[in-house]
Amino acid sequence: MGKKELKVAFLLALRSLQRGSRSSTILTILIIGMCFTNMIFLPSMFSGIGQGITKQLVDYETSNVLISPKSGDQYITDLGATLDLINGMPGVQRASPQFSKGATFKYRQRVLGVSVRAISPMDEKEVSPVYTKMVAGSYLGEGDTGEIIIGKPMAGDASVKQEDEFQPSLGGVRVGDSVTVEYGNGYTKDYRVKGIYYTGWSPVDNAAFVTWTDMEQVEGKTLDKADYITVRAKPGYSEQFIKNELLGYGVGVNGKVQTMTDLLSKSVGKVLQSFAIINMVSLIVSVIITTVVLFIVITIKTLNSRKQIGILKAIGVDKEVIMHNYGFQVMILGVLGIILGIIITLALAAYMYVHPIVTPEWSAYLYITPWDLLINSVILFCAAVVAGYVPAYQVSREDIQSAMRA
Amino acid sequence: MIEITDLQRIYHMGTVEVRALDGVTLNIEKGEFLGIMGASGSGKTTLLHLLGLLDLPTAGRITIDGLDVLHLTDYEKTMFRLYKLGYVFQDYALVPDLTVMENVSLPAMLRKDRTEEQVKKDSFSILQKIGLCDRRDHLPRELSGGQQQRVSIARAMVNKPDILFADEPCANLDSENSKMVLELFHEINEEMKQTIIMVSHEDWHKDYFHRIVRLRDGRVMSDEKNISAH
Repeated sequence: MGKKELKVAFLLALRSLQRGSRSSTILTILIIGMCFTNMIFLPSMFSGIGQGITKQLVDYETSNVLISPKSGDQYITDLGATLDLINGMPGVQRASPQFSKGATFKYRQRVLGVSVRAISPMDEKEVSPVYTKMVAGSYLGEGDTGEIIIGKPMAGDASVKQEDEFQPSLGGVRVGDSVTVEYGNGYTKDYRVKGIYYTGWSPVDNAAFVTWTDMEQVEGKTLDKADYITVRAKPGYSEQFIKNELLGYGVGVNGKVQTMTDLLSKSVGKVLQSFAIINMVSLIVSVIITTVVLFIVITIKTLNSRKQIGILKAIGVDKEVIMHNYGFQVMILGVLGIILGIIITLALAAYMYVHPIVTPEWSAYLYITPWDLLINSVILFCAAVVAGYVPAYQVSREDIQSAMRA
Repeated sequence: MIEITDLQRIYHMGTVEVRALDGVTLNIEKGEFLGIMGASGSGKTTLLHLLGLLDLPTAGRITIDGLDVLHLTDYEKTMFRLYKLGYVFQDYALVPDLTVMENVSLPAMLRKDRTEEQVKKDSFSILQKIGLCDRRDHLPRELSGGQQQRVSIARAMVNKPDILFADEPCANLDSENSKMVLELFHEINEEMKQTIIMVSHEDWHKDYFHRIVRLRDGRVMSDEKNISAH
């Protein structure tokens, strides 16, 4: 197959698309575009959910590195010294400890069991964006006592009856209201609600935060222990680097050091793995559908052109030229369809970025990387070429007499 | 020179055997304008298709300039058609998506011995000869039947083939356009000394043929020179 033959095949393909049935060409491009969108939409949405969950885990639970009590221990002890050590290490933006205590909240006639988390607001602001999620009032200040911030679902809505609530709440607490908190150790205190936040991350939205100083009052002593410490890495420093540094400095003696990736593989790893399996099945189904659709489209096209194929062969056009003519047609249609698919997908991604599908547990948007677009484009293009060449190969081998009689 | 020896073509339609050609033997000299005539079903188109390597005979032998063409491979036959033969079909058989110029250029574009410039020049000159230069950018559907058939002749002639086959080229044309087409064949034959083999069932066409072969039931009924030809 020489250059001249390929050139003639390309000319025939181009002219057929330019001057043939415009509606058929547009329809085929649209089908390929929709197949591409179908291929990439569901996996991208799962990726988006996965990314969202990961981001929320990092933002609200683990940060980049989590230090938890060693196996058999309940708390990380010697907290002050540990924090000083961590905060002085290269690559560490900030370390923030948390200490949780079970409590019962009372507001008017409502009673609700909640976990109260003690934080150091200045430190916490460096590792978690909860302070940016205030929907009413303001975040805790470093020296605050007698003040509390609570999640919006926990605060509730006064206009919703208790029996109609999706989850139990305090029935419409507002900023400035006073709530009574009875801790597990019997200590009871009235707090003024300083702020209400909403992060979309259920474990945080159903918790309340007080300052470390306040929790020390609850405990009745200086609190030199923590449930866990979250560590935020400075930009440019990897989690693994921080983990190695922490272990190198002996933090591992006092607590268990795990990166976010270590934790992800344990916690949501199975979920993400399930997503990956669903994505693979969805991809295979989409590729099969695309191949079959294109096979039908090109088969119809070749069957409708049988007579013309016979004539071309009669005047000395080689069957390879005829086959490549249809091959080029499907390649051009494939490329245009993929471009359309990319446009549709990116438009959907942009729309869903602004208007994500929000559920109580997660927000779904399309997470698409250039690599995803490239891989899906290559797969679809290959499927299109196979689907186009098979009928083209068959029809180009038909004998001239049968083709011309068609 | 074309030598046809005991050519047979048998079709099987279910259990029925149809002898479309039943032992045709002919010699056709270079430069002849040969008319193959006969009633419908006499085997004239079958003979033309076999000579043009569009079909395979059941038995017999065809040699063109000493070459046994029936033993060529599929690709060799395609190349033989491209370089040595030209076809004009009853229904013009132009590629509907190509312009007149592109239709005419198509066979020439595939020849390895032609440059792009030569293809353009040859196509342009043949279009000038058939008087359709001004319609070169038109699509076939924008032309009349007569014009389309002239384009079909131009396409067949662009590679300057040794033999031109025409299968009832005037069947879809009125008498005026038919005459124009026949005159064109006559000119080609006279000027280029082209061998032309044309199938027709119109009796008045015989005035243009140098030699007339009449078929009946797949056999040669008569083979005579036409001394009164144009």
